[in-house]
Amino acid sequence: MPETTDILNALVLFGNFVFMPALSYGSQLALGALGVTLLFGILRFANFAHGDTMAFGAMVAVLVTWWLQSLGVSLGPLPTALLALPVAILATSLLVLLFDKYVYRYYRKQKSPPVMLAIVSVGVMFMTNAIVRFIIGPDDQRFSDGQKFLVRARDFKEATGLNEGIAIKTSSVITIVVTVVVVVALFWFLNRSKTGKAMRAFSDNEDLALLSGVNPDRIVLITWLITAALATIAGVLYGLDKSFKPFTYFQMLLPIFAAAIVGGIGQPVGAILGGYIIAFSELAVTYAYKKFFRYLLPEGSEPDSLVQLLSTDYKFAVSFIILVVVLLVRPTGIVKGKVI
Amino acid sequence: MKLKLTALASAALLASAIGSTAHAADEIKVGIILGFTGPIESLTPDMAAAAELAFKEASDSGKLLDGSTIAVERADSTCVDAAAATAAGERLISSENVAAIMGADCSGVTTALANNVAVPNGVVMISPSATSPALTTIEDNGFFFRTAPSDARQGQVLADILIARDIKEIAVTYTNNDYGKGLADSFGEAFAALGGEVAISAAHEDGKGDYSAEVGALSASGAPELAVFGYIDQGGRGIIQAALDSGAFERFIVADGMIGDSLAENVDGDLTGTFGTLPGNESDGAAKLTEMLTEAGAKGDGPFTAESYDAAALIVLAMQKGGSADRESIQANIMAVANEPGEKIFPGELAKALEILAEGGDVDYEGATTVKLDDVGETAGTYKELEIVDGKFDTVKIH
Amino acid sequence: MNHGLRATLAFTFMAAMLLAVGFGQSWNLALAILNLCLISAVMSLGVNIQWGYAGLFNAGVMAFTALGGLAAVLISVAPVPEAWAAGGLNMGLAVLIIAATVALIYVLRKSLPGGALRKLITAIIVIASLYLLRKFYSPGVEAIEAVNPAKTGYLGGLGMPIVLAWLIGGLFAAAVAWIIGKVSLGLRADYLAIATLGISEIVIAIIKNEDWLARGVKNVSGLKRPVPYEYNLQNSQWFIDLVEKISASKLAALTDPAAKQAALQQLVIESSSIFVKLSYSVLFTVVLLIILWFCTRALNSPWGRMMRAIRDNEEAANAMGKDVTGRHLQVFVLGCAVLGIAGAMLTTLDGQFTPASYQPLRYTFLIWVMVIVGGSGNNLGAVLGGFLIWFTWIEAEPASLFLMELITAPMAEGNAIREHLLESAPHLRLFLMGLVLLLVLRFSPGGLLPERVRHV
Repeated sequence: MPETTDILNALVLFGNFVFMPALSYGSQLALGALGVTLLFGILRFANFAHGDTMAFGAMVAVLVTWWLQSLGVSLGPLPTALLALPVAILATSLLVLLFDKYVYRYYRKQKSPPVMLAIVSVGVMFMTNAIVRFIIGPDDQRFSDGQKFLVRARDFKEATGLNEGIAIKTSSVITIVVTVVVVVALFWFLNRSKTGKAMRAFSDNEDLALLSGVNPDRIVLITWLITAALATIAGVLYGLDKSFKPFTYFQMLLPIFAAAIVGGIGQPVGAILGGYIIAFSELAVTYAYKKFFRYLLPEGSEPDSLVQLLSTDYKFAVSFIILVVVLLVRPTGIVKGKVI
Repeated sequence: MKLKLTALASAALLASAIGSTAHAADEIKVGIILGFTGPIESLTPDMAAAAELAFKEASDSGKLLDGSTIAVERADSTCVDAAAATAAGERLISSENVAAIMGADCSGVTTALANNVAVPNGVVMISPSATSPALTTIEDNGFFFRTAPSDARQGQVLADILIARDIKEIAVTYTNNDYGKGLADSFGEAFAALGGEVAISAAHEDGKGDYSAEVGALSASGAPELAVFGYIDQGGRGIIQAALDSGAFERFIVADGMIGDSLAENVDGDLTGTFGTLPGNESDGAAKLTEMLTEAGAKGDGPFTAESYDAAALIVLAMQKGGSADRESIQANIMAVANEPGEKIFPGELAKALEILAEGGDVDYEGATTVKLDDVGETAGTYKELEIVDGKFDTVKIH
Repeated sequence: MNHGLRATLAFTFMAAMLLAVGFGQSWNLALAILNLCLISAVMSLGVNIQWGYAGLFNAGVMAFTALGGLAAVLISVAPVPEAWAAGGLNMGLAVLIIAATVALIYVLRKSLPGGALRKLITAIIVIASLYLLRKFYSPGVEAIEAVNPAKTGYLGGLGMPIVLAWLIGGLFAAAVAWIIGKVSLGLRADYLAIATLGISEIVIAIIKNEDWLARGVKNVSGLKRPVPYEYNLQNSQWFIDLVEKISASKLAALTDPAAKQAALQQLVIESSSIFVKLSYSVLFTVVLLIILWFCTRALNSPWGRMMRAIRDNEEAANAMGKDVTGRHLQVFVLGCAVLGIAGAMLTTLDGQFTPASYQPLRYTFLIWVMVIVGGSGNNLGAVLGGFLIWFTWIEAEPASLFLMELITAPMAEGNAIREHLLESAPHLRLFLMGLVLLLVLRFSPGGLLPERVRHV
C-alpha cells in the first residue's frame, strides 16, 4: 500500500498539472463557447469571426490598461485590466453592431440559409483579424500586472513538506470566479428576465415568438451585446492568464466550436460543459502519468515508459477527435442541442 | 557544355568591368524578403530594421561605389507559403531588378526561393535565419549563403556544454518546425554519443496560448532539467513561463532562438542559472550592434537581428569589392569580403571598410556574429555560452 | 448582359491584367502569377463541385491539397533502402495489423446482431490491435527516423515521375475524403464546415508529426521536376542559339561585342526562367482544361441536374427517392480528388513539400473566396475566381505598400504613425480579401459569373 504522503503527492501532482490548468482553460473555452452557442441559438449561424472578436475585445482592454497604467491607476493585487473591461466591452459591442448593421442584417432580412451567414462571417473574420493587427500589430503584448500568484509551488512545498507543489495563479482564480459570476448572471437573465425569456422563446420557435409580439430587432441587438461582452471577457481572461497575441485567438476558434457542439449547440449549459470536457480531456489524455504512478505503485513496479495516452504533438487534435466521436454517436451533443 | 555559361559570364564580367570604370552615383536596389505576415511576423520587423540599418550606413557613408545609395525593396515571404514567397521573390528579381537579396527567413520558403528564383536567375541570396542542415546540400551554384550557422553544429556544442556541466539526463522541447526539429535531432544524437540521455523529446506548436499540457508531460519524464529549442517571443517563452508557474523546472537550457534579454524581462519569475548558446563571440561587435539597433528604435537583441545586419553588410561590401552592383560580381566577391585576409570589420565600421575596398585593400568582415563562410557559403559558427546572472545573459565561454 | 459576353469580357480583363504585369513589371513575374492562377483555378473548381453543385461547405480544403502534396513526395522521391531495412518490416506488420483489425470488425458487424456483446467484442479487438500496433509501430518508427535524420529519416518514395503523382494525389485525397464523408456528411451544412475544419487540422497534424512518412516538419525539398532546369538550359547550345535568334534585332543594336555578350547572357538567364515557367503553364493548362471539360459535362448532365435539385431542396429530392447522402458523398469525394490533384501540382511547382505551410487562412478560406467571388455553381466562374483572387492576393502586397506610402507621404520621416502604418501595410491584404468577399456576397451574391439557370 502506498503511504499517505505518496497519495497526497500524486494528487497534488495531478492537481498542479492537470486539474488547475484545465479548470482555467476550460473556463475560458466555456465563455467563448457560450458566445458561439447564443449566436447560434438565436441568429442561427456558426460565427467564424468569434475568435477574432475575442482578440478585438482583448486588444481594446490592453490599450486601455496601458493608458490606466500610465496614469498610475492600479487595483493593487488585482490586474488593472479588470478596470478596462467595461470600455473594451463597449468598443467590441460597437464593432459587432456595426458589422451587424452593414453586413449580417441584409442576409437576415433576405432569409438566407445559415451556411450563407457562416460564409459571411468568414469575411468578417478576415476583416477583424486585419483590424486588430493593424492597430496593435501582430506581437505578443503584456498587460497583466498585480500579484501573479496566490500560492507558489515552492512555498507550497515548504509549507506542506510534500515533494510536489501546487501553484495557484491569481489569473486562474480570477478566470474561474469571473466565469461563475458571468454564467450565473447570464442564466438569471435568460430564465428570469422578460427579455431573456423572449430570447429563449425566439430561439425555440421564431415564428411563434414573433406572433406573440416579440420584437426581433431588439432580440438581435441584445444577443449581439451579450455575445460581444462574452467574447471580450473570454478574450481578456485568456490574455491575462496566458498572453495577448492576435494569432492565438484565431486558433482558439476551433476548440471553442468543438466545445459548443460537444455540449449541444444552442444550449448554454452545454457550452459550459463542453468547454470543461474539451479542456480536461486535452490535458488528461496528453499528460504523462509516469511520475503519478511512481508515487502510487509499489516499489519495483513503476512503469518505464511515460504512460502517455497521446503525445502532446496531437494535443489540439484531441478536441476534434472528441468532436468527431460526439457527432457520430450523439450528433445533438451531450445536452440535447436544438438543430441539426 | 556546362562551361558555356561560365564563358559567357566571364565575358560579361569583363564588359561590366570596362563599363564600370566611369559609373556615376546610382541608386542600387536590393531586396529584403522576410515573413512580414505569418507565424514569425513578430520577429521580422526587427530583422528587416537591422538589415536596413546596414544598408543605410553604407549609403550615408557616401563611399559606396562613388556615392551610390541603396534603395531597399521589401517583400513578404510569409514564412510558410512557398508559392506566395516565390511570387514575391520573382517580383523582386525580375520586376524590381534587385542586385541581391537579404533573406529569406524560414528554411522551407528559403529553399523554395533559392531553388526556384534566386539560383536560376543568378541572384545572390543571403539568409540570416534559415538554419536547417538540409540547406547545406541544395544545388545553389554558389548563389546561396547564410549568416546563421547550421543547426547541426549548435546541437553538438550544446551537448558538449551539458556534459561539461555534468548534466546527464534532460527533457527536450522544440518548436514544431524544421529549425526546432532539426536542432532537437542533432542535439539528441550528439548528446547520446556523449553518454547523455534525452528522457523525452516533445514538440510544441508556436502561437498557442496554453502550454501547461506540454510542461506536464515534460516534467513527468522525471528529467531534472529542460532544454527549450524555440523562439523567444513564441511558444518557447510560453513553455518557460508555464514551467516556472507550475514549479516543474527552475532552470533552462536554451538555443539561439531563445536568447535575448527580453526573455528575462518578459518572463515572470527567476531565471538565474538558465544558460544557452548563441552564434558569435565575445567581440565588441555584437554589443555595438545592440547599441546601434536600440538607438534606431528596434529591439537590440531580437533573434537573428545580428545575422540580418551581417547579411546586409556582406552584400554591400561585395558590391564595393567588385566595384559593381552587378549580380555576378556580387556573387564573385562575397567570399572575399567575408573571410581572411584583410582588416577585421565590425558593425558600425562599414564606412571604413568601404574606403579600404575602394583603395583596393582587403577586408575580413567579422560583424556581430563573427562571420566566416566555408566553401558552401555557410558560417561554421563559433558559439558563445551564455548564462543568466541578475536578469541578463552573460557570456561564460566561447566554443 | 448575356452570360457568354460577360465571361468573355471577364477573361479578357484577366488576360489584360496579366499582360500589364508582363509589360509593366516583368514576364517572369507574370508567368509565375499565371502558374499559380492555374493551380488556384483547379482548386477553385474542386470546391465549386462541392459548394456550387451540391451546397456542401467543406472547410477542410487544406487537408486535401496537403494529401496531394504528400503523394508528390511518395511518388517521386527515391526510396531510402537503409530506412526500409531498418524499419520496413515493422511498418509492414503494422499495416497488416490495421488491415486485419478492420477486416475483423467488418466481419463481426456482418455476422453478429447489434447489441452489447458486439460492442464489447469490437472494443476488445480494437484494444488488442492497438496494443499489438504499439509493439511493432513504435520501434519501427524509431528505427526509420534514426537513419541519417538531417537528410533522410524517412522511408522515401517510389522514385517515379512526379507527373504520375498528380493522379495518385487525386486518389489519395479521394480515399481520405470517402472516410471523412462517411463520418461527417449528413450533418447540417455549417456543422459539416466545422467538422471538416477540425478533421483537416488532424490530417495536417499527422503529416507534420509522422516523420517516417515524409520527414514531417523537416520538409522534403528538391523534388524532381517534370520540366527542364534553368541551369541546364543556360548551358545548352541550342537554347543559347534560340535566344540569340529570337532577340537578334535587339542584339544587333549593340555594337560593342562585350556589351553584346553581356546582354545575351542576361537574356539567356531570363529566357531560361521563362521557358521553365511556360512549360509548367502548358502542363497546368492541360490539366485545367481536362478537369473543366469533365466538370462542364457533369454539370449539364442529368446527374448535374439531380445534384442541383438536391442542393436547392433537399427534402423534396429525398421525397422523390433520391439518395441524398449517397449523392453528397459522391460529390464530396469527386471535389476532394480535384483538390488533391491541385495540391500535387502545387508541390511539384514549389519543388518541395512543407507540411507547416498548410494554414487554413491560405489553403481553405482563400480558396473559398475564389469560388464565391468567381461565381459558385458556374465552372467558368470558379476558374475566373481562382485567377482573379490569386492575382489580387499577390499584387495586393506591393499595392498596399504603395498605398501606405502615398498616405504617409506628407508625414515626416520617422513619424511614429507613419512608421506604424508602413509596418502594418502587409495586413491590408487580409482586410482587402475580407472586404472583397463581403462586397461580392452583398452586391453580386452569385459571384462575377453567376450560375446559369435554364428555365424550361
